[in-house]
Amino acid sequence: MQRNFTHVLLFLGALPTSVASAEAPIDFNRDIRPILSNTCFHCHGMDEATREADLRLDTKEGAFADLGGYHPIVSGKSDKSELFRRIVSADDSEKMPPPDSGKELSDAQIELIRRWIDQGAPWKGHWSFEAPKRPTVPEVKPTATSGNAIDRFIHERLASEGLEPAEEATKEALLRRATFDLTGLPPTIEEIDRFLADDSPDAYEKAVDRLLESPRYGEHMARYWLDAARYGDTHGLHLDNERSIWPYREWVIKAFNNNMPFDQFTVEQLAGDLLFKPNRDQMIATGFNRCNVTTSEGGAIAEEFRVRYAIDRVETTGTVFMGLTVGCAVCHDHKYDPISQKEFYQLFAYFNNLAEPAMDRNKPLPPPTLMLPTPDQQEAVERYKRQIALLDKAIDAELASIDYSDPAELVAGEPEPREYVWFDDSLPEGAKPLGNENEKSWRFVGGPKYPVYCGKSVATRKAKSRSQHYFQGVEKGLLIGESDKLFIHVYLDPQDPPRQVMLQFNDGTWEHRAYWGEDLIEWGEAGTVSRHHAGPLPKQGEWVRLEVDARTVGLKPGTIINGWACTQFDGTVHWDKAGIVSAIPQGEEQLASLAAWEKVLKGDKKKLAALPKDLQNVLKVAKEKRSDAQKKTLTNYFIAHVHPDYRDFFGPLAKQSKEIASRLDSLEKSIPGSLVMKEAPTPRDAFVLIRGEYDKHGEKVSHGVPAALPPLPEHAPKNRLALARWLVDPSHPLTARVTVNRYWQHLFGTGIVKTSEDFGSQGEWPSHPELLDWLAVEFVESGWDVKQLLKLIVTSSTYRQSSRITPEKLEKDPDNRLLSRGPRFRLDAEMIRDQALALSGLMIDRVGGPSVKPYQPSGVWKAVGYTSSNTAVFKQDKGDAVYRRSLYTFWKRTAPPPSMATFDAPTRESCTVRRSRTNTPLQALVLLNDVQFVEAARNMAYRVMVEGGDSPDERIVHAFRLATGRRPDESEVKLLRQAYESQLADYRSNPASAESLTKVGDSPRPTDVDVAELAAWTTVSNLILNLDETITKG
Amino acid sequence: MDPIQEFQHLQTRRHFFGKTATGIGVAALASLLDRDGARVTAAETKPGEGVLTKPHLPQKAKRVIYLFMSGGPSQLDLFDYKPTMKEWFDKDLPESVRMGQRLTTMTSGQKRFPIAPSMFKFKQQGQSGAWISELLPNFATVADDVSFIKSVHTEAINHDPAITYIQTGHQQPGRPSLGAWLSYGLGRMNDSLPAFVVLHSSWSARRDAQALYSRLWGTGFLPSVHAGVSLRSKGDPVLYLSNPPGVSRKSRRNVLDALAQLNRKQEEAFGDPEINTRIQQYEMAYRMQASVPDLVDISGESSKVRDLYGPEVTTPGTFAANCLLARRMIERDVRCVQIFHRGWDQHGALPRDIRLQTRDIDRPMTGLIKDLKSRGLLEDTLVVWGGEFGRTIYSQGTLTKSNYGRDHHPRCYTMWMAGGGIKPGVTHGKTDEFSYNVVENPVHIHDLNATILHCLGIDHERLTYRFQGRDFRLTDVHGHVVNEVLA
Repeated sequence: MQRNFTHVLLFLGALPTSVASAEAPIDFNRDIRPILSNTCFHCHGMDEATREADLRLDTKEGAFADLGGYHPIVSGKSDKSELFRRIVSADDSEKMPPPDSGKELSDAQIELIRRWIDQGAPWKGHWSFEAPKRPTVPEVKPTATSGNAIDRFIHERLASEGLEPAEEATKEALLRRATFDLTGLPPTIEEIDRFLADDSPDAYEKAVDRLLESPRYGEHMARYWLDAARYGDTHGLHLDNERSIWPYREWVIKAFNNNMPFDQFTVEQLAGDLLFKPNRDQMIATGFNRCNVTTSEGGAIAEEFRVRYAIDRVETTGTVFMGLTVGCAVCHDHKYDPISQKEFYQLFAYFNNLAEPAMDRNKPLPPPTLMLPTPDQQEAVERYKRQIALLDKAIDAELASIDYSDPAELVAGEPEPREYVWFDDSLPEGAKPLGNENEKSWRFVGGPKYPVYCGKSVATRKAKSRSQHYFQGVEKGLLIGESDKLFIHVYLDPQDPPRQVMLQFNDGTWEHRAYWGEDLIEWGEAGTVSRHHAGPLPKQGEWVRLEVDARTVGLKPGTIINGWACTQFDGTVHWDKAGIVSAIPQGEEQLASLAAWEKVLKGDKKKLAALPKDLQNVLKVAKEKRSDAQKKTLTNYFIAHVHPDYRDFFGPLAKQSKEIASRLDSLEKSIPGSLVMKEAPTPRDAFVLIRGEYDKHGEKVSHGVPAALPPLPEHAPKNRLALARWLVDPSHPLTARVTVNRYWQHLFGTGIVKTSEDFGSQGEWPSHPELLDWLAVEFVESGWDVKQLLKLIVTSSTYRQSSRITPEKLEKDPDNRLLSRGPRFRLDAEMIRDQALALSGLMIDRVGGPSVKPYQPSGVWKAVGYTSSNTAVFKQDKGDAVYRRSLYTFWKRTAPPPSMATFDAPTRESCTVRRSRTNTPLQALVLLNDVQFVEAARNMAYRVMVEGGDSPDERIVHAFRLATGRRPDESEVKLLRQAYESQLADYRSNPASAESLTKVGDSPRPTDVDVAELAAWTTVSNLILNLDETITKG
Repeated sequence: MDPIQEFQHLQTRRHFFGKTATGIGVAALASLLDRDGARVTAAETKPGEGVLTKPHLPQKAKRVIYLFMSGGPSQLDLFDYKPTMKEWFDKDLPESVRMGQRLTTMTSGQKRFPIAPSMFKFKQQGQSGAWISELLPNFATVADDVSFIKSVHTEAINHDPAITYIQTGHQQPGRPSLGAWLSYGLGRMNDSLPAFVVLHSSWSARRDAQALYSRLWGTGFLPSVHAGVSLRSKGDPVLYLSNPPGVSRKSRRNVLDALAQLNRKQEEAFGDPEINTRIQQYEMAYRMQASVPDLVDISGESSKVRDLYGPEVTTPGTFAANCLLARRMIERDVRCVQIFHRGWDQHGALPRDIRLQTRDIDRPMTGLIKDLKSRGLLEDTLVVWGGEFGRTIYSQGTLTKSNYGRDHHPRCYTMWMAGGGIKPGVTHGKTDEFSYNVVENPVHIHDLNATILHCLGIDHERLTYRFQGRDFRLTDVHGHVVNEVLA
């Protein structure tokens, strides 16, 4: 019993105090439904599959049903109610919840249920499913601080708890609070001074207006939204490669800065692509539902992931706009809320038809995407395209006038073989001479001392044992045809005859050899094409023509040789005029023959691969099977790019066209793009997926919304646009409440509904239900005006209270849920870093653009990255990029920036509408040691030395004001001065340390101040940046 | 304790250590109260304390070392001996065995599923007679200290979902990892080191290694304070641990003293208990600046001890060096140490790469067990070894007697456990002759996780966290403790 007694006390301690008194009326939704939901609905709720005893306690019908003479609940009579009998039963076989369920009711809960039944068991639908109506603003005794309607709701509740609101915060504290809340940054000293000097009654209101108009406002608001939208700069799964969707982030910033009404904001993000003639911005907005994580893992089954993406989109939409955990109905009916599994898949149907391949192919822009040129870029693209078209037209006109026929095919039947000389007095174009004497191996000499067979000179070699001259690398090689012969002329010196002569041909390898005479050169394998014996040594003292049948050395038709070697063993040999006897045109003539060119291509994969794709495709088709159009394509290309006769005309045109095309290409590559939503042309059927498994189709379903929520308008189209418009219909009970609650959470740290992600029956009861409804109605009636809503809240006296906690308030309102004081909590990760950048003067305040990579310890990506991922190696940016606001920091989702993650920034792998807020030693290490905070400290130090006056005390006051907005008191100044002096003494005696500390980071070290002083001020600034007050919004 | 006093005590604690955000509502609060052993909410806990005031069950292991082989090591070439497969070389896997089970799209297009028997020799080891392949000659000597589960299975067939699944109980990102649950439930036992530490090892297989993800040691919806802290082999061992250049420990101490005084003044002025917590956290940070370097300095380890782990123990970042660090952390009562070793995704050239990989781990993990045992630490430290799934009996790509590859196989694979709570020398579960299907005592990865928690004194069904209206737990709505492997 003692144990239970503790429970009663604790339970009452945690409950709204009004329930604690025995006679206070019980509110079903606040007090009873949560108990039933948590304890009973699992077996007696929505989910038919797990429902026991055919009993439902989540509906009024079920709870009061006639079960054959008895009823679960009999209004006003707990002793006649079966439900009550069972929960107090001592018999384990009857007791509810069953002892083995792991659930148990406390005595306090049982007592509450008893009193509720005895008070008549008033039943209401779950509160958040009923549309909010504007409640009457309570009449409260005016106090010094009563401001707007918000305060009257808050004060009424405070009065009922016997609490007084706190006094107004100091002007400095108030301006700092509002500046952080509306822009994510601290106020400047000028802004503080101006505000302090402004005695007009609307001074604060003017400051709020100024903040709402700052471009920093949109950035700050966007940052919260990007958590909800699960925005990231990588795909998030497996390789986690880079993704390009930052234009969506820019859209969000712009939308907030332009104060886009929230209904429009919703519709454009969920269904911008389905609007009538959507403009570019409306398309970019749909990136909201392209932010989910995707994969391209080898082996992954596409349908499995396509389904997962759609589920993620439904869940995210459910959480962000409705505060509902619809994802609980993926595998079975929702256990607590009225969402059946079928209804989940009806919502799923809206997201089931995207024109998106499931595998992102690890590319930055997996389709569907939108390219986003600037007007200038667009103009340039069009201009280039026009120019290319003009050139094409000129080329086409000329081509049309050319009547081409292939010289190789002019002669009927087999063309006659002809002799083509490859080299005579000099080597062919592009040949690289090589041999025993390297590049000097080819000795061309003329008569009369030497015999010359043809032309002016002859290549001569005198050898002892094996010796050779050869060349390779000729661009226009010899194309081998059927039964072709390669030839050369030799003159063996009778005074000094060789023992062996050899020819070698290179078609990529040198394994094609023929020799005459003895078998002394041991290359290749005797008796094969790599060492073919062609005959005895030719006659000495006269010119002899040596001929090699190409086949005998393994040169198949279609191959091209581009190297030739003349090798001998001993003696003196003169070599002259070599070439091929072939039926295929060679050299320039070859280039005039389409057939010959094709053969060249067949032997040269590289050349082939360099051709335009369509041409390659034509070439893949067998000659006789080509259509006229294909033939035309081929011939035209050949004439325009290959045929020598037309080179003078087409050459310059082609060159120009190529240049423009390459300019166009690099321009197009520089144009950013963004992922967008787009429907596939043919609708895809949606099914209930049994147990949520992608390949287990159940009943076929159509688009629809849960029955517990307002119906869609009649004839609503079956698309996302209808869903989006339904969400922002003023009759929708959730969207406005969920939204205003989230803004409340931004400002006060906790929402009116603490579980801002769950407004269902497992969610927490609102601390001020009437206020929530009043704000929701006000918001909708204002035209979903976000700035107006924020202004309304931040100008309330509730918001303007001092955040000082009295012992009484710590006792009665420990978590400040009653708002008996102003909000006080640690700044978010991004605000802490942005503040340091702002105070140091390093911050670059440019809005928008692609993500940047500021400092990060090395190895963080490498430790986890897939080896060949394009985000496996982190390369820090330089210059301005290092000092941009944190919402522009590149977000790799499988390894988010560690200094941010340490301060509870989410990984952005899934939708987050509420961050945790922890207090850890690792946070201390970041603030004390991270290069970006140390660099900020030393720049702040310099700033303080320059701006802050001459005496240490003046500088301390300046630094303190920068960071906290207020002037330090004397004891604080004293503490900091002592710290400064002891640091200064240390650095004076240790200049090397001062030197190193003042060099941390990329920014240059100022040269116009004393290094030891700068180091000491750096340490003091670092201390100030670590103050609880500095990293807290209070 | 007098209930009223206890209530007041809790209330005070709540005031002092409150404000960490949790999703616990009034009803949830009431239900949490009904559980013996659980604190009222996470908000009531002091920094470093777990949510459980005492474990649900007798705590056989106080700490855990988890050796995670990322990529999916082949059970067929290490532990699951299938001698009859020799006769099946290059024959097709019978359809009656595959039974139309889904395959990854890397092999689902293969025309054949030719069987690749392991080319490695197996022997029975120790008293227990556990089959161990020749690839693990050192490990064979501790066969009697470990317990094998040959019937582990999962549903995920690709790395990202599979590793996320075994580490967090769910295939999609967003849930807390095993180590985070332990930190949340049991808290820290050392006030100068984190509760959960993660180590990344270099690897030798010559292939692209599968990625890891910070979610594998992340906290999902639990407060981020429970996230695994990476102990790095290069740069600062813990991120941001070192003072900036030019700042001495003495100077840091002076600054922290001034900082604490200023923060105390703020606390007096505003009365916010969170400020006191912050002061404590700065002190712990300061202690970590000494305790972590001390932890990673292995110069005091005898050559005999180093020898246990093999020659690579002195190369930072190797699996060997990490195993020794794991022991040093266990000595210092770090709650959970997880060592990742990548490179096990052997789709091709498996014999080449598995030799390299086992060379990385064989001696160090054996040394770790021996070292823990000789110090009496194995008694209350659980050691777990395994990957995210197994590999197929049929070959992917080229198949010769000495070269083959294996695709992912989620339907059965082997893991082993040793130490606190585990009955040594047991082999549990059995697969068919193709190591394709489980034929006896299947152990789902949820069962495995339930068993790990059980060894640490946690009832996996009772360590929960309310998020989005649901009480989440590591094992989702599944999991049965595998009693057969428990001591």
